[in-house]
Amino acid sequence: MRNRLREQRTQRGLSQAELAAALGVSRQTVISIESGRYLPSLPLAFTIARFFDLTVDKMFDPDDEEAGA
Amino acid sequence: MITFIPPRLRKPAGIALAGAVFAAAWLVRGGPLWWVSILAVIAAAARAVSWYRMGGEDTDEGALAASRADERQKLLSLRSRALACNLAAAAAFIGLTTAIAVKAGWWWPFLVILVVTGFGYLLGLSNYGIAEEGTPDDDADAGQPRRSPVQR
Repeated sequence: MRNRLREQRTQRGLSQAELAAALGVSRQTVISIESGRYLPSLPLAFTIARFFDLTVDKMFDPDDEEAGA
Repeated sequence: MITFIPPRLRKPAGIALAGAVFAAAWLVRGGPLWWVSILAVIAAAARAVSWYRMGGEDTDEGALAASRADERQKLLSLRSRALACNLAAAAAFIGLTTAIAVKAGWWWPFLVILVVTGFGYLLGLSNYGIAEEGTPDDDADAGQPRRSPVQR
């Protein structure tokens, strides 16, 4: 599953540490989500989407994985 | 009670407490090896200090040591604990079967470990609600007679 976290973060000029503090998670978790190594829980996915004023399906795209598989 | 302890001190305090209990056991045992209790206290204190210092690092290990882990770090810890339990159970099984094969008298500690890990797994299934799936039918079917899908 791909996500637009890195794209949205850089568009807003946020560092990974700043985003992590805003979301209430660790910097390592932001890095893991951006690289696709970790899928966040549903509450965290909603928190991320709301932070960037997006819907969850705009932020996380399961179709990308199916296309790549 | 643990909520009154600052998060960064919780794990070091647990280590120190375990070390104190272990040292007390050596003291109660008495005999010429009483000095092992002093070693135990020193080792526990050194370990507690190292965990406290690790808690200040900006790493996954630091977050776990300082009890400030987020959901991913808690999941990592949970998986590691599950792996440790699986390895303990496998090692206990190997030890038990080996002890039986060589007719040794030290088979029972392995059996205790196997029973405790197995019982812990069942306790976890019970506590975390594996049997609480609810009723199979939703409200739309309530009160309707059950019919086979192949019957007309």
